[in-house]
Amino acid sequence: MSHFLLMVLYALVVSLFFALLWRRGRREQIKLFLQIFLGMVGGGLLVAWLMYPFPSGPPAPIP
Amino acid sequence: MAESGSAPAPQAPAPPVVPAGNAAVAVLSAWLIPGLGHFYLKRRLRGLAFFVLVLVAVLVGCRLEGNLYQVVAGQPLTILATLASMGMGFIYFLLRYALHYQGNIMGAGYEYGTAFLLTAGLMNLLLVLDVWDIVRGKKE
Repeated sequence: MSHFLLMVLYALVVSLFFALLWRRGRREQIKLFLQIFLGMVGGGLLVAWLMYPFPSGPPAPIP
Repeated sequence: MAESGSAPAPQAPAPPVVPAGNAAVAVLSAWLIPGLGHFYLKRRLRGLAFFVLVLVAVLVGCRLEGNLYQVVAGQPLTILATLASMGMGFIYFLLRYALHYQGNIMGAGYEYGTAFLLTAGLMNLLLVLDVWDIVRGKKE
């Protein structure tokens, strides 16, 4: 599974969870879900884009 | 001089939803199996949804061979991570002691899987707090 798909899946689970936990009305739930989901996915893509110019370097040693 | 009728009367705290003994059952069951506390408090659909969400997080975490934390001597942060993982309740002990789940540090999805497993435990801890709030009448 690709990194992007895992990120989307993670954002989906977390945003669904908090929308159900923090809001009661259906409209508010959908609104919060979209806010968290798009914030996480969009934020992840933004950070990835900002890090793009930096070299990845050698892999970290396994402890 | 007393003001006439403009001051609002102090609101009495909402009465607890369930008696004290049953409150302990609700909180304990919420920790033991994700969503069971909500189910017990007659929030059945929400309880089912929480159960599915936590279970999905656990299954993805296991599929990616993430780390199911246990305390490591000399690494105090593993205590916190273990407590967070144990938040998933019965599932933690099922994975650890019945299925002998270990995770695989060489696995490609190890870090992602660890994040999913930790998130599952933390989500269930939040569910326990939510059940506690419902029991105390602070949430519906």
